[in-house]
Amino acid sequence: MSTSSPPMLRAQGLSRTYGRDAALVRAVDGVDLEVAAGETVAVMGPSGCGKSTLLHLLGGLDRPTAGEIWLSAQRTDQLSERALARLRRDGIGFVFQAFHLMDELTAVENVELPGLLAGHPPRAARRRAAELLDQVGLADRARHLPSALSGGQRQRVAIARALSNQPAVVLADEPTGNLDSEATLDVLRLFESLHTAGQTLVIVTHDARIAATADRLISMRDGVFIDETRLTGGTAGDLGSLAGLEG
Amino acid sequence: MQQEVVLAMLAKEPSHGYQLRARLRQALGPLGEAMNDGQVYVTLTRLEKAGLVTAEQAAGVADRPDRKVYALTPEGQQRVAGWLAEVSWPRPGLSEFHLKLVAAAAAGLADPLSIVDAQRRELLRRLRDAQRAALAEPAGSAATLLLEGIVLRLQADLRWLEACERHWTRREDDS
Amino acid sequence: MRGRILLIARVTARDLRYRPAQAALLVLAITVAAATLTLALALHGVTSRPYARTRAATHGPDVVAQLGGPAVPAQVRALAHAAGVIGHSGPYPVASALLRYRGRTVPLEAEGRDEAPASVEQPEVTTGTWVRPGGVVLERTFAEALGVRVGGRVTLNGQALTVTGVAVTAASPPYPNLCYSPGGGTCSVFDLPDMRFSPSDYGLAWVTRPQARALASAAAPPWYFLNLRLSDPARAGAFASAYGKAHPAASAPVLIAWPSIAAADGLLVQDEQAVLSPGSWLLGLLAAASLAVLVGGRMAELTRRVGLLKAVGSTPGLVAAVLLAENLFLALLAAAAGLAAGWLTAPLLTGPGAGLVGTPGAPSLTLRDAGLVVALALAVALAATLVPVIGAARTSTVRALHGSARPPRRRATLIAASARLPAPLLLGLRLVARRPRRAALSAASIAVTVTGVVAVLAVHATADEKFFGGGNGLSNPVTDRDGQVLLVLTVMLITLAVVNAIVTAWATVLDGQRAAALARALGTSPRQVSAGLSVALVLPALPGALAGIPLGIGLYAAANGAGVLTVPPGWWLVAAVLGTLLMVAGLTAIPARLGARRPAAAILRSEFG
Repeated sequence: MSTSSPPMLRAQGLSRTYGRDAALVRAVDGVDLEVAAGETVAVMGPSGCGKSTLLHLLGGLDRPTAGEIWLSAQRTDQLSERALARLRRDGIGFVFQAFHLMDELTAVENVELPGLLAGHPPRAARRRAAELLDQVGLADRARHLPSALSGGQRQRVAIARALSNQPAVVLADEPTGNLDSEATLDVLRLFESLHTAGQTLVIVTHDARIAATADRLISMRDGVFIDETRLTGGTAGDLGSLAGLEG
Repeated sequence: MQQEVVLAMLAKEPSHGYQLRARLRQALGPLGEAMNDGQVYVTLTRLEKAGLVTAEQAAGVADRPDRKVYALTPEGQQRVAGWLAEVSWPRPGLSEFHLKLVAAAAAGLADPLSIVDAQRRELLRRLRDAQRAALAEPAGSAATLLLEGIVLRLQADLRWLEACERHWTRREDDS
Repeated sequence: MRGRILLIARVTARDLRYRPAQAALLVLAITVAAATLTLALALHGVTSRPYARTRAATHGPDVVAQLGGPAVPAQVRALAHAAGVIGHSGPYPVASALLRYRGRTVPLEAEGRDEAPASVEQPEVTTGTWVRPGGVVLERTFAEALGVRVGGRVTLNGQALTVTGVAVTAASPPYPNLCYSPGGGTCSVFDLPDMRFSPSDYGLAWVTRPQARALASAAAPPWYFLNLRLSDPARAGAFASAYGKAHPAASAPVLIAWPSIAAADGLLVQDEQAVLSPGSWLLGLLAAASLAVLVGGRMAELTRRVGLLKAVGSTPGLVAAVLLAENLFLALLAAAAGLAAGWLTAPLLTGPGAGLVGTPGAPSLTLRDAGLVVALALAVALAATLVPVIGAARTSTVRALHGSARPPRRRATLIAASARLPAPLLLGLRLVARRPRRAALSAASIAVTVTGVVAVLAVHATADEKFFGGGNGLSNPVTDRDGQVLLVLTVMLITLAVVNAIVTAWATVLDGQRAAALARALGTSPRQVSAGLSVALVLPALPGALAGIPLGIGLYAAANGAGVLTVPPGWWLVAAVLGTLLMVAGLTAIPARLGARRPAAAILRSEFG
């Protein structure tokens, strides 16, 4: 599994607990994870298994109660709020289930937000945002407000935003949770193209179709990893038999 | 009635023909009504001819299939083991996989959960292939539609496998 | 850096464009608070500094000596050369006279002066010119009470004179405290009291020396004022009392030190202070309550925005900057509006009550006052920023994003109890139970309002007893001024209460719109829903209004210092309570109806980012 180059993202003994004594909840319980550069990892599991919490921890949106997180060989779990913010800006792109775009900004303004936050000159940020919107196929909707976009379009804007500062890792939390199958396909295509371009992705999902885009699939239950599957490699059958063709 | 299913049903211990039929009925629940009783005996006869089972007639009993006692031969056991480890996927026919799990649990031959997991992995790989193929097709091609259909069915099957996993986990916890 | 500034400007501009109501409310609340503060400062300016300014402008005396009888010249010489005296003016003859103007007769003391200015105690002419033959200069408060202007014609002891000017002085308290005792009034002890008039009816005027002597008569000889300047003004009181002890005879000069005059001068505004102090506390409380509700109402939205900005990579400093920029802009805008409003309404209060240097009509607002108002607005902007920022900092970014940083409270007993009520009451009660702190703030605000109203009613109930100076038919500037201050205070109180009701209504409707939309989706009619929202707003007002009654009575008693409780007539109180409740219901009816009519789908759908 491990190659000569160090992993892009690494977690060791990661834990997050809530409450105390009788009401103690172990959302994430001693998880170890390694994601190589350019790899796509999918985490699947039933509701409440802690996969979203895990992603929030990896993305610096929440602080772990125990364990270490390393991004590009830099320790991230003990950074200050300011440093974490910079991390979220430049090192990690987050895609949420609920999109979380700013309602009062247009699509292109939402996408250039991380660029402006990073202090890039406005014109350069705008150019990059326009490119990204083109990449996700929404060049013609650049000046629309989120309220004028469908769910799938909003999620694509959110993905473009996550890519804005060329992050080392893109973390996606149920990216197609609120989307219909048509919109899911659009997002699927995007993830495939990102994967081909060498982007490191960690996706938490219910949807087997999204999970199938991954190189590695991890099953999670009750805060721990219970299974890991490599999805690369051949299959034992052929598509023909699946389609009902006698072969 | 698939041969391997009948073989697997005998894996735990030899049994009479009618006992076998009853076990199958019970495992299939309401769908057992649709089972053709005669098919079971036909399959048993075929299996005997193929040397995968032996049939013994109890003394003093009429020469009827349901009264015979059937048992697995070594070749039959080999066949069963191979079948349990198989991860091919039939098109319809969920009953076969379902019975596979039932038989494996009853005979203690294999952990149903690992069978389910292995099958899940296989289906996911196939889903990936089908999806990749679908995305590689030019837009609007008719083949996309077919591939899309495969993907959706695989997705549905995967959901069922998740349900199987939950059920067999609970049974494991209860026992 | 440019990008960040652009971002801040853009987010601010967009938020204002797409959510103007919130911005308008914030501006409204701060404007009213700022205007209140401006008025209070202007009033304070009017009531605190003026005697000192008058004294400086008129080269006021440190000690005023009243002399009468045959020994005057010797007494003058002794005083003028007494130890510690470095200068003097006078002695000036003073005669008592009756002034007739437009059918009214009023008593006054007329002081005879030189046309040339004196070095000590030279009254400052605010309108017109100083004394000349055939003319009379009136003291300013007296002239305003009389209603006579420069150029008007009056008769003094039957002699027709023209009013040539209006002036202020520091040597005597202004009308109607000329004869104020103890000690500060300068009605001469050598004057024979005219039994037709009370001491507070007397005014002050200046004429030429010959004119003064002409006004005197054998029956009413003139007495004299001598103005002294001491080497150490701080010892004026000691000087006066030492002289008084050394010369106890009835015919000896009476010395009045300038601090006593200042105290008497300040009487004009003492009653006001009794009204202003508690009044401004009430206003302050109301303003603070409004702002607290406002900040609370914006919390959910602002917390979400903070969460989003953090998730996208904003440093905490930048997040605070984004929030602060908008709040700051609105607060400064409101401060400017409040200052302007205060400036324009201040003349209502600084008009009469003269005897003070400073053109009536121009409020005495200094740069320092304006700075205080701006500082208040800035403090509000800061608080409105820090509260959500700190609140969001204490929860994780994720919880802030989902707006669960401040979840509503749950009161199982209330929920169970309300289950049996009709739909509007059910909805209303549960909405109130969701945010107990806001309900408490709302009740407190109404209580404050009613307290103020009841206190004002108590004042009116005792208005007859406060009447003094009725003998001459002139309006008493003190009660006039009191009445005006009360009026302005009441108006401000009602205004703030209105703002408070609007802000609370907006916050409640905003908070309850999901519940209302759900109720409508489940089959409640819009009318029932808007009734429910109204119930939620009026329900906390009721205990508040009832509590305000005893509080208001107590406040009046405390401010008055009287040992007795004045209870306004019962039906006045009932009217006050009902009026308040009706006002709350009326003001909140519109937001409630608007809140009930927004399409339910839009509300329920908008919970997904």
